[in-house]
Amino acid sequence: MSEVLTKIESIDLPDKSLKEIQDDLIWHIPVRTRTFKLWMIFLIIILLIGTFAYYRQLRYGLIVTAMRDYTSWGIYISNFVFYVALSLVGSLVSSILRLSNAKWATPLNRISEMVAVAAIICASIIIVVDMGRPDRFMYLFLYGRIQSPIVWDVIIIATYLVISFLLLYIPLLPDIALLRDRLKNIPRWQQKFYRIIALNWRHKPEQYKSIKKISGILMIMVIPVAFAIHTITSWLFATTWRPGWDSTNLGPYFVSGAFMLGCAGIIIAMYFIQKYLKLKEYITQKHFDNMGKLLVLLSLVYLYFNINEYLGPSFKMVGVEGEHITELFTGSYAPMYWFVQIIGLILPILILLFRRMRTPFPMLIISLLVIVGAWLKRFLIVIPSLQHPYLPIQDVDESYMHYIPTWEEWAINSANVAGVLLIITILIKLFPAIPVWEVAEEKGLKKH
Amino acid sequence: MKTQILTKRYINGLWIILILLMIPLYRVIGQDRTADINIEFHEDDEIKLITATIMETFGDSLGAPVPDLDVYFYVERTFNPLPIGDIFNTTDEEGKVTIEFPADLPGDSLGNVNLIVKIQESDEFADAEISRVINWGVPLEMDDRDSRRSLWAAGANAPIPLMILVNSLILIVWSIIIYMVYELYKISKM
Repeated sequence: MSEVLTKIESIDLPDKSLKEIQDDLIWHIPVRTRTFKLWMIFLIIILLIGTFAYYRQLRYGLIVTAMRDYTSWGIYISNFVFYVALSLVGSLVSSILRLSNAKWATPLNRISEMVAVAAIICASIIIVVDMGRPDRFMYLFLYGRIQSPIVWDVIIIATYLVISFLLLYIPLLPDIALLRDRLKNIPRWQQKFYRIIALNWRHKPEQYKSIKKISGILMIMVIPVAFAIHTITSWLFATTWRPGWDSTNLGPYFVSGAFMLGCAGIIIAMYFIQKYLKLKEYITQKHFDNMGKLLVLLSLVYLYFNINEYLGPSFKMVGVEGEHITELFTGSYAPMYWFVQIIGLILPILILLFRRMRTPFPMLIISLLVIVGAWLKRFLIVIPSLQHPYLPIQDVDESYMHYIPTWEEWAINSANVAGVLLIITILIKLFPAIPVWEVAEEKGLKKH
Repeated sequence: MKTQILTKRYINGLWIILILLMIPLYRVIGQDRTADINIEFHEDDEIKLITATIMETFGDSLGAPVPDLDVYFYVERTFNPLPIGDIFNTTDEEGKVTIEFPADLPGDSLGNVNLIVKIQESDEFADAEISRVINWGVPLEMDDRDSRRSLWAAGANAPIPLMILVNSLILIVWSIIIYMVYELYKISKM
């Protein structure tokens, strides 16, 4: 993979002075456009509806959801797996691409780190939402069994949250100092905020040397932690004896799916950031082209693991495992399953092979299809397996056999999605979406 | 119209209830005789026999054997006592009744079981009970799987290699994180 990536050459940055680059990348911060305000109001309304639904869940218990003894993990866990997967993009772009010397991806570092931080925060929130007694959350630490993958997951999510935050924050320091020094027409609280979090940054060579050193350590450290977070998430399933989960393939299957989904997520973010922050000179056609190629590569890897995941069980069709596969291939989940495989996986690979399709708008549509497919894929991983237990309950209630999420679940899940978008929006509104000092350095405008 | 509380039907009902209540009372009053239980154990070619002898008692002195009396044999278990022998174990003319002790009954770790022999709910004799500990049970091998270190044991019994691995990983990663936070502190002081 690294060979492929290194062949993608560095991209020319606009021929501008340092001040012009700075202006281009921070102009949007003091500006409050009408679109921005409407977007924020829209997100807050969704969040408020979700908060009301969660109030009802706290008041009446998990009975307000459609989760029962069979389907005890619903769309909350689908969302959790989806966000953990999305958060891996931080390590993909900021670490794997950087270590592969793919300099063209420099302008995308911060976007990917912002997406990663937002996703892992919301993944942590939704897992608490899924708990019937969130007030007992601390019991996981006080009475948790170190043998349980759930405890490993809690530990690794907390660790990855901190690492993702550091990965975003540390390279941001010179840009925060720039905002502190340059932006005078912003509210006082914002000025004070920049002053505090800039950590007395004075653009000294030793300060640059220091952040380069710790960024280097972070870049390496984030890779095993990122692999661990999603592998452990897959073990939550693989160590539970259910059809569809009893697989040794699950770790790499989850990780490869996560990279594909993360890549699509970044393409969507690139499209809107390029459009609304007027950054066409920084996020260029070449970036979309390269990300398109990367998406094809990652989708092919994921397709390979998909074939591995389904071929064996579908060939044998043993017992409940066979029932589960039949349900996916030709049963009630078949439309969703084939949408995911064809529209969400195979079609993007085929379309993106054409250069003309690797342009911003077609790639936005394709990435949206990939994202929808990826979310439905998490739904298919979690729910149908739970409906075919190896030890069925006698005379089970009819409602246990089906899972149709209630409005409370949809509202909370939508609020969770809105939460990710809100965090990304706030981060973009507070900080440059493209690292100013790194772009300047790459252009040779500033040597540290 | 005058209200009649004590109707004839009501009075008849009360009589029936009173008579029904008298039956168990009569049974208790009727149990005016007492008996002594004596147990003997015989082991012969892997067949284990228990013989109970019932003798009528008059104060401290023993009287004649009690024939045709149902005697109940139990082995003490964790919850209710387990009945052994036949459904009815009736004494013969010598006041004796013999039952076979089951060969596969688990005892404690040494094979001890507590045998209980009872006279109960007899029309003539008051309830009596005797118990003896006998080493006739199958010694119980305690299942200590839960107390061994394993992946499925309680948190306190986690496998040591797993604890070392997980805690080392946490320690390494968090040491690096703390180092980076310290570096940030140093940056702020430069």
